Amino acid sequence: MTERTYTALIVDDEELARAIVKEHLATHPEITVLAECANGFDAVKVATDLKPDLVFLDIQMPKLDGFEVLELLDPQPTVIFITAYDQHALRAFEVHAVDYLMKPFGLDRFEEALVRAKARLDQGHPAGPQPSELSATAKSEWPLDRLVVRDGAKVTLIPMTKLDYIQAQDDYVLLKTPEKGHLKQQTLASLEARLDPKRFLRIHRSYIIQLDRLARLEQTPSESWVAVLNDGTKLPVSRSGYARLKETLGEG
Amino acid sequence: MHPLLSNRKRLGAYLLGWVPCWALQALQLLVMHWPLHFALVLATLSSALGAALFFTSGYLCSALPLRQGRQPWVIGSAIGLAAVLMGALWAWLVLRFVVLASYWKPLGDLVRWAPTNSGMFMGLVGTGALFYLVIVALNYVLISQDQRQEAERTEQNLRVMAREAELKALRAQLNPHFLFNSLNSISALTTLDPKRAREMCVLLSDFLRKSLRLGERPTVKLAEELEMVRAYLSIEQIRFGSRLSVEWDIAPGAEDAVLPTLLLQPLVENAIKHGIAALAEGGTIRIAAARKGAFLEVRVENPTDPDAEHPVGLGMGLRQVKSRLQGRYGSEIFFDAAQKDGRHCVLLAFPTEVNP
Repeated sequence: MTERTYTALIVDDEELARAIVKEHLATHPEITVLAECANGFDAVKVATDLKPDLVFLDIQMPKLDGFEVLELLDPQPTVIFITAYDQHALRAFEVHAVDYLMKPFGLDRFEEALVRAKARLDQGHPAGPQPSELSATAKSEWPLDRLVVRDGAKVTLIPMTKLDYIQAQDDYVLLKTPEKGHLKQQTLASLEARLDPKRFLRIHRSYIIQLDRLARLEQTPSESWVAVLNDGTKLPVSRSGYARLKETLGEG
Repeated sequence: MHPLLSNRKRLGAYLLGWVPCWALQALQLLVMHWPLHFALVLATLSSALGAALFFTSGYLCSALPLRQGRQPWVIGSAIGLAAVLMGALWAWLVLRFVVLASYWKPLGDLVRWAPTNSGMFMGLVGTGALFYLVIVALNYVLISQDQRQEAERTEQNLRVMAREAELKALRAQLNPHFLFNSLNSISALTTLDPKRAREMCVLLSDFLRKSLRLGERPTVKLAEELEMVRAYLSIEQIRFGSRLSVEWDIAPGAEDAVLPTLLLQPLVENAIKHGIAALAEGGTIRIAAARKGAFLEVRVENPTDPDAEHPVGLGMGLRQVKSRLQGRYGSEIFFDAAQKDGRHCVLLAFPTEVNP
């Protein structure tokens, strides 16, 4: 009987931290390390190209953190988080990580994580939930201070301050910045739950605006309201959206 | 403590307060057609005796403080009794002195004007008791004033102590993630490069010992603080490898300057966190210090991620450094943290102190 083989990716910005994982994996010929990545951008690029079964993922990294990397991967690999921080554990399991190793860890603990990872991979459904669901559940980081978008292998970071408005488009959201629009696979409702309600407001079933972009409200001949943004963009305002706007702006 | 004796001004005011009493009494007697010299003698006698006798009420008041939970009728009756007794003693003494004074020829007629009869005596007792009660009230007002001041002082002391404790905790505070990450590096090195693993153990112990020892003192010489910062940075250098380089620019003479303990350490930790750990290719941290007249100027610079959204205002670490400096030197400090040309620069200046 030939044992199944697995492919793996090691992601950590510290060389020594990657070295430990590599060393522990050296006694596991069934696991092939495809690559090592030292930052989040590389990790997304390499994982998208090579589609590893298993990712050893650090959380605090330059450019993208481990959660953002995971959010951008499709299909979702099986993930073992490795970090010095214990405060992310809850969120790690919300995104269905197989295990959460705390630096420094012993060989026993590492082997235990491997056994779990293999068990999940052998069950045949390594992928956790879809990325869009992921963001909906991972509410631990709130409010968001930036959004990550992947277009092919290109990853873009969008700071929340750059957003003008967000528009729902079927299973996607269109993130509109002054320069361009970015599509991201996520529902408007799940994104809304992670936004700062002091800065963002849902004015319509399909639209969320950044409040400081709102120039004025105009009434159409048919008595419905339209939001005019600073750059002249006109967006529809629903009845309940108008009520929310009045309440929020009335307060300020 | 007698409320009138707690400071000299109060005693003076108390004695001065008897002057109008004396004048009023004399006036009252003159209105009753007493001869001037008799009126003055009696007023002086009774005022002097009253000032001395009723002064003792302060001891009673401080022995019977008005506190919640004490039965008011106990205090009330004690004071009432004291008022009557002291009034009677005063009246008796005043009349005794009148008799004594009238042995002197020019005052021989005084006894006629102030006869030692029960009517006169009762009148004097009433007046004395009333005076006594007024002074009791005055004493209680002063006592409550003292208590309020005392409470304020205590509160202020507590605030200062809490601040000190906070600073002490701050100084002793060690970033646990730094420790875990360092231990992880050591764990990796034990098989890769045992010699470096040992070196790192020594560096880490060195740093821990220094920070524990310095944490016990409120101030240190810049040289000592820098020694610890160097130990810290050599550890981080092993962890981050080529991603971290450090430039030093310590002007001659600056190392003898004295500064609050562990003031630079959080700045350097911040620089590592935002400038090195957050950047894929890392960069250079620059640490400069120089004496500028009576001030010590310190600058810590680190590269920043151009893509990151820079938060407005100061982070926790910088805020604490600033408030420590303000707490110690008041408005005599300069503190600036700014983003410029892709680098974050913290500049601070504060008065140098003499050696501890």
